[in-house]
Amino acid sequence: MALKRYVVGCFDDEEVLFPAVKKVRNAGYKIQDVYTPFPVHGLDHALGMRETSLHTAGFIYGILGTTTALAGMGWVFTKDWPMNIGGKPNFPLPALIPITFELTVLFSAVGMVMTFCYLCQLAPFVRKHHFHPRATDDLFVMAIECTDRTNVDDLKGFLQSAGAVEVNYQVAESGWWFGRYDVEPKLYREENPVIG
Amino acid sequence: MASNREQFEVSGNMKTWSIGLMGVGILAFIIGFITKGLSSDEHQQAIFWGTLLYNSIFFLLICNASMFFICVTTLAHGGWQVTFRRVPEAISAVVPIFGLIAIFILFFIVFGLNHGDHNLIYHWRIPGNDQIILKKTGFLNPPFFVIWTLLSIGLWSYLGMRMRKLSQESDETSMNPEQGNRWIVRNTVIAALFTVWFGLTVGSTTPWLWLMSIDTHWYSTMYSWYTFASSFVTGMALIALFVIYLKNKGYLEYTNDEHLHDIGKFMFAFSIFWTYLWFSQYMLIWYSNQPEETTYFQPRTKEGVWKGVYYLNLVINFLCPLLILMTKNSKRNYTVMAFMAVLIIFGHWMDFNQMVMASISRDHVTLGWLDFGIAALYVGMLIFFVGKALAKVPLIPKNHPFLKESIIHHT
Amino acid sequence: MAGSKPNQMHLKYESQIREPLVDGNKDYHQITEDIIRPIEAKPSKLWYIGFSISVALLLFGVYSVYRDVTYGIGQWNLNKTIGWGWDITNFVWWVGIGHAGTLISAILLLFRQGWRTGVNRAAEAMTIFAVMCAGQFPIFHMGRVWLAFFIFPYGNTRGPVWVNFDSPLLWDVFAISTYFTVSLLFWYSGLIPDLATVRDRAKTKFRKFFYGTLSFGWTGSTKHWQRHEALSLVLAGLATPLVLSVHTIVSFDFATSVIPGWHTTIFPPYFVAGAIFSGFAMVQTLLIVVRKVLNLQEYITLGHIEAMNKVIVLTGSIVGCAYLTELFMAWYSQNEYEAYAFFYSRANIFSPYGWAYWGMMFCNVVSPQVFWFRKLRRNVVFTFFMSVIVNIGMWFERFVIIVTSIYRDYLPSSWSYYYSPTIWEIGFYLGTFGLFFTCFFLFAKYFPTIAVAEIKYVLKTSGENYKERMDKVEEQKVEEFAHDYAH
Repeated sequence: MALKRYVVGCFDDEEVLFPAVKKVRNAGYKIQDVYTPFPVHGLDHALGMRETSLHTAGFIYGILGTTTALAGMGWVFTKDWPMNIGGKPNFPLPALIPITFELTVLFSAVGMVMTFCYLCQLAPFVRKHHFHPRATDDLFVMAIECTDRTNVDDLKGFLQSAGAVEVNYQVAESGWWFGRYDVEPKLYREENPVIG
Repeated sequence: MASNREQFEVSGNMKTWSIGLMGVGILAFIIGFITKGLSSDEHQQAIFWGTLLYNSIFFLLICNASMFFICVTTLAHGGWQVTFRRVPEAISAVVPIFGLIAIFILFFIVFGLNHGDHNLIYHWRIPGNDQIILKKTGFLNPPFFVIWTLLSIGLWSYLGMRMRKLSQESDETSMNPEQGNRWIVRNTVIAALFTVWFGLTVGSTTPWLWLMSIDTHWYSTMYSWYTFASSFVTGMALIALFVIYLKNKGYLEYTNDEHLHDIGKFMFAFSIFWTYLWFSQYMLIWYSNQPEETTYFQPRTKEGVWKGVYYLNLVINFLCPLLILMTKNSKRNYTVMAFMAVLIIFGHWMDFNQMVMASISRDHVTLGWLDFGIAALYVGMLIFFVGKALAKVPLIPKNHPFLKESIIHHT
Repeated sequence: MAGSKPNQMHLKYESQIREPLVDGNKDYHQITEDIIRPIEAKPSKLWYIGFSISVALLLFGVYSVYRDVTYGIGQWNLNKTIGWGWDITNFVWWVGIGHAGTLISAILLLFRQGWRTGVNRAAEAMTIFAVMCAGQFPIFHMGRVWLAFFIFPYGNTRGPVWVNFDSPLLWDVFAISTYFTVSLLFWYSGLIPDLATVRDRAKTKFRKFFYGTLSFGWTGSTKHWQRHEALSLVLAGLATPLVLSVHTIVSFDFATSVIPGWHTTIFPPYFVAGAIFSGFAMVQTLLIVVRKVLNLQEYITLGHIEAMNKVIVLTGSIVGCAYLTELFMAWYSQNEYEAYAFFYSRANIFSPYGWAYWGMMFCNVVSPQVFWFRKLRRNVVFTFFMSVIVNIGMWFERFVIIVTSIYRDYLPSSWSYYYSPTIWEIGFYLGTFGLFFTCFFLFAKYFPTIAVAEIKYVLKTSGENYKERMDKVEEQKVEEFAHDYAH
């Protein structure tokens, strides 16, 4: 897979991060992503991301569950093996509601979690490039992808002026791999040690 | 919206509408009284008084639900509702008025509708030889009915008034955090008293006494909680409607779609909750199929004539909120929310209609001009009195300690 | 957000009247340190002692179950009349306890109770373990447990024989398994970012591998967070009716029948209220210990304990309201069988089980009323004591409902003797305690007991040191404030 070059700026406060995101975007740089230790509300909008439609997927899975449950039980009780249970009709709707409800929830929840993991490429043994180990602790890490025309030093200076407490340059492979976490892979090399 | 419209003024339009509706309602009432109330046919008389009964209880309970909303959010230290808190306050100000009317109607039914060997609506009033009813008279008897009714409505009104007074008190001076804290504690005390009393009345005894006793033999432990759920979700819809109205008129500048979204969540969640109670009550009685319990559902389901009303009510109160209010966008849309609020109020009004009328008139569906007329009378009064109450005090409790939280509230 | 200025940060503000949710002088890094350090440190002596006791209990349980499976459930003191005894009582009790976690995370999220962030992770874990314990009882009650898979509808080899979808017992199968699955997903999806935090701090090879695997390669990307938020919200929305449905369906096990004392329409919501009640009591029991042992008093503050005590007094009162409703209706219905169940078997202190009924009334309805007093709500030792009382009371509730309704059958010839459990029945129950606490000890040792990311999220609004700096905002005029910050 292709190697990509990034300039990484780390911020220690989301109140500095927001104006910085705005400045970087206005200057025409392409932000690959911002890695944060907790969900920062409004950051997705600031980065210009579109809304997720995971809810819609959940709704569809749910409907699928409802249909499966009703159709399945209906088929068993009316076609496959009709039985008289307590003098109730063969398709005793009130008695089928609990299972229908449970399957709706089950399908919706399982489907959504699986979709979530698929979209975010989350699974055991997945390896990804981590730009900074403190991105899950207390740093807000902004990764800007370099193009041929990007002047790395300028960009670094720009990020620092925008309030980054740590700036560096990384080369990383894009994509994801299966592998063991503790083996140090040569996925990126830090060309310039930390500035400032 | 830059203009600072803190004080609500009843617009001419609102006045015209409320008086017009009341006029229509009074007309319907008079015609109903002459054609039914004074009719020699006992059944017609029962229908007339039954219609008054369920309307008076329905509108009383949904207004009282506003005070319940204020009290539980106070107890839960809720902050988000503060920007529009004066709206439920104003709605709850109607409780004493509607309470008085309900008292009059209830007492008239208990004392004025005894025709020889039976009462037209409450069979327990003159039990005759019915052994089961005779044994229930320890609970179902006029003195207890009178005392409990007066106590219920009286304490709702009184505690509600205390809550409103306390709220208005805060307008006078601004509070620092310590004073604010003390004020919140005082609120909490009254809110707790109200909530406990609400649980002892709406949550248990009062619906048994007023409504369930119409089917004197029948019983269901769920009944009161079901009634509570029905009236609470309608109360939320009513709040939503007034908030939207005020918003459209340019008031409530700090209330925005975030708040509407949360009201919408309440409407959505409690519609589901109502359905849950509906299902639990229905399914358990259907499943065990015991005659003394299924009698309630006979006029309402299967071969019963009330079937249409009964199932329509399920569609309006469950399916519509479920499908329409599910998405975020619909809960933030003023038009959709206004439509849904009207629909929910109508749906639960119809629910009360069948709860009472299907028991009084098991063989005929009575939903007709009289029902809508009386409802119009009540809606007219509601608009009139709530409008008046809104105009009395500033619309925004500007010194409420949680107001700022509410202004920046985010769903 | 429609209408909001996209690039503007939202003001982090909360009224100073509210108690801080995070005490002390914290910043993001300090939170990580405080919560993750216990995972990296060697467990204390207390942990080893507790863990050993739990494992011992678990082993005793395993032996009891072994006896049960080998010799049949005749090992228990059940008889023809009292076919449900300790086992189903324990089942309902554990399921009830398994309601608090999801309730805290889901319903309190929807009701925007900020204090849930401190306690939700541990409560969810507790939920999952409690449901695991609950599941054991019906499974081993089946007797021939190796055929337990018969309860699932599947294309089987015995001809077109299906399970009975009309039966509440089958609804239970679906409800409990769905609840377990969804709670697990909810809990774990919330845990992933925190596990990534542990991973990124890890020094040892094993820990890097272990937490690296468990954290699914989480990076903290904004897009992922956005999806994660959506997922949590929808799962919370789903879990809310789900948590209601589970105890509702458990209550259907009783209420669909025509047994006096069981068949009553209020059972579903009343069971749910009881479940929340006992669940919160169990959360108190555990968290009061956890905050002390792991030194997390700044995250699980007195405010948290007080808030949970409020929920306890609320749900206890709802349960009380339901008890009285039932009792009233037993009289009001003028149904002699109902009256017998309630006024002879239960509320009569001189009947064989009268003590259980009044014990339940005292523990569940009377005793929680002390929490109307703020002093007592904020007393940690007293709360711990009360939480145990409540759970004893809730055990009695299920015991009363189950046994008092069936021990006097319709025919006097099938009236049963006083029912008391054998050592193996008790052993099974103790064994589930072993399972529960073994799991919980492992969880508290190897996983972050508090949702790190969520605490960081609320820090700037609800952290003590940040709240102290809000004076300026607090004093600002409302008009100016609205002008500056309203969206």
